Amino acid sequence: MSRKVVVTGIGIISAIGNNADETLASIYSLKSGIGRLSLFESIHNNISVAEVKVSNDQLLNLAGITTEKEFYTRTALLGIIAARQAASNTEHSKLIDARTGLISATTVGGMDLNEQYYKSLLENDTYKEYLGVFDSADSAEKIARYFGIKHHITTISTACSSSANSVMLGARLIRNNQLDMVLVGGTDSLTKFTLNGFFALEILSPTGCRPFDQNRNGLTIGEGAAFLLLEGEDVADQDKIICELSGYANTNEAFHQTASSSDGYGAVMAMKKALKVSGLQPSDINYVNAHGTGTVVNDLSEGRAIETIFAPAIPKFSSTKSFTGHTLGAAGAIEAVLSVLAIKYQVAFPNLNFNQPMNELSLKPQIEVTNANINHVMSNSFGFGGSNTSLIFSKV
Amino acid sequence: MHSYITSIGNISPQNTLKGVGFPDELISRESNCLACIEPDYRELINPVQLRRMPRILKMALASSQICINQSPVSNPDAIVVGTGLGCLENLEKFLLSVLKDNEHILSVLPFINSTHNAVAAQIAMMLKNYNYNITYCHRGFSFESALLDALMLIDEKEAEHVLVGGIDECTPNFIFLHNYLGYWKQPVDNLQLLKYKTSGTIAGEGSAFFMLSAKPCDQTYARIDAVSTCFNLANTDEVESEIDTFLRGAQISKQDIDLVIFGINGDIYYDKTYYHLQKSYFDASSMYGYYKHLCGEYYTSTAFALWLAAIIIKSQSVPAVVRLNSANRQAIKRVLIYNHIRNMEHSMILLSMPE
Repeated sequence: MSRKVVVTGIGIISAIGNNADETLASIYSLKSGIGRLSLFESIHNNISVAEVKVSNDQLLNLAGITTEKEFYTRTALLGIIAARQAASNTEHSKLIDARTGLISATTVGGMDLNEQYYKSLLENDTYKEYLGVFDSADSAEKIARYFGIKHHITTISTACSSSANSVMLGARLIRNNQLDMVLVGGTDSLTKFTLNGFFALEILSPTGCRPFDQNRNGLTIGEGAAFLLLEGEDVADQDKIICELSGYANTNEAFHQTASSSDGYGAVMAMKKALKVSGLQPSDINYVNAHGTGTVVNDLSEGRAIETIFAPAIPKFSSTKSFTGHTLGAAGAIEAVLSVLAIKYQVAFPNLNFNQPMNELSLKPQIEVTNANINHVMSNSFGFGGSNTSLIFSKV
Repeated sequence: MHSYITSIGNISPQNTLKGVGFPDELISRESNCLACIEPDYRELINPVQLRRMPRILKMALASSQICINQSPVSNPDAIVVGTGLGCLENLEKFLLSVLKDNEHILSVLPFINSTHNAVAAQIAMMLKNYNYNITYCHRGFSFESALLDALMLIDEKEAEHVLVGGIDECTPNFIFLHNYLGYWKQPVDNLQLLKYKTSGTIAGEGSAFFMLSAKPCDQTYARIDAVSTCFNLANTDEVESEIDTFLRGAQISKQDIDLVIFGINGDIYYDKTYYHLQKSYFDASSMYGYYKHLCGEYYTSTAFALWLAAIIIKSQSVPAVVRLNSANRQAIKRVLIYNHIRNMEHSMILLSMPE
């Protein structure tokens, strides 16, 4: 069980950029990706969202898809683009080896095409060939076909913690010597389904999320994808190692299907256990990339959990969802990639739209890009169904 | 990596819920969809919670409760669920309210209940279980991914007892839409499924939960030795080579397998792979069996197959209704389940008799 797991590739696409460089440039210039809805017609078009500012046609080009274009959901395209970046420095023969796997994650999968064709399909069979792309496995299988990966392919769906769990599973598969290399991540596109779901739950911010602020008024739904290439340190090309994945934990709050507990005990359990797996103390963590959705309930719960774990010496922390929006099934992987970048560039990322600390707590997130010694980063992802996952990345 | 099946709760289209063996009477229907025989939920689930609870969650909570009632532990160290399509009925319901009612949503409940991990989450809430909790949603790999995760958790000593389940529900819209693609036969007698020699199969559903334990106990059914999946194999040569690799990894030969349970579903096109393996690959002295005439085709039907394999190993007898050949083995020590979904997701699960 002592096998070290290292990150040797990253890929990211979100509202703030189509790759890691663009993402960093947006963050350094404090430019949020939150804006107006343009992808589809909706009665909620006055609500802020975080769209990837690329049309499906452009995504097809970015992904290099030239045949059967109509059967690529936006979710699959985002996933392929991020996975391709993560695997860009790796020989193809390694990617298709039987000891390489692909773990993806999503919440609603091919819902973007499902909601385009479902009504018509109930009337006639004109669009029947699309039936095969609506489910959660489609995007992972499209990515698998793109590379020719045949082994250890799966999709995790644990709501907003989905892709944090795919990172964790990938790490365990390597530690357990089941695999040598694994692409892990997640993808979700913006859909009417999720927009309406979160609207009906009354947790969407009309104006854009303000994580950890006293006047926060909800989350901003986003879209995107991110993948990481994980390898066993013993088999990895030493020049390609960006950092280590040193800790992980998945716990369940067993409290409520859609809400987190007010004292955040589920979050505390996940963070504590991840620290234990990594063999680190709370004081070793230099930056926490928080789940920080911007809802009244989450941020108070997570804030209390952060205090429980770290007080009195709270590390730098922020929610980058103020840039990317909440990308649901992709969020855990997007924030894992940002955590890797924080270590690579020795920087803590800011939290936009923060003015006033929550009354109940004295927590203040980072509001500027801050260069600092970043040896260990914790990334939190919490989801519906009490699904809490924390990851820890460490400098090597 | 291995673990022991120490208890089972299986809600299926057959009478599998009560008792620990193969049902005495089998259900046969003239249909292209086999629905589950549901228990009186009031005996198993808090009646307050039962109100407005989606059917798939009722099946999940009831089958996992039955599994736990018979298991050596009252609360597992992890909950691992595989579901190909998740809470499909509520997903369809919410989708239709978005599309047909022009986004004027009357109830948010279907959205909440459409989340794929609602099954695992509701079980955790029922048990007040704070441990590892995960949901795999990947067509014909869903249950296999859950099994592999459970085996790893036990191998990592992260867990001694893992509740692992495979669950899918069938809905009228799912049947209707996939009929466009020729997935289903005309209504047929499920028990005669292989007689028709036509394309298409019959749909099914089920919720089978297992307690996997690090150590055997008095009531242990079987030992799970290995599970493997592979995607998009080009031809039967590749399938054979994958099974070769799998058996080599488990350090056994084809002759060592006493019973092979195939995912044959009555579709003359897709069943070719199975028939080829029977004729040209597996050992003719092995017993061959099948199961989808009992539960129908669905993404996590291998959970039903695992139940079947487990009770066969425990009872040391293969029910005539699942047999495909007349070979006989003195003892059933090793069982291989091989399934594929439309030649895309191939999976293998190896079980053995506990020592």
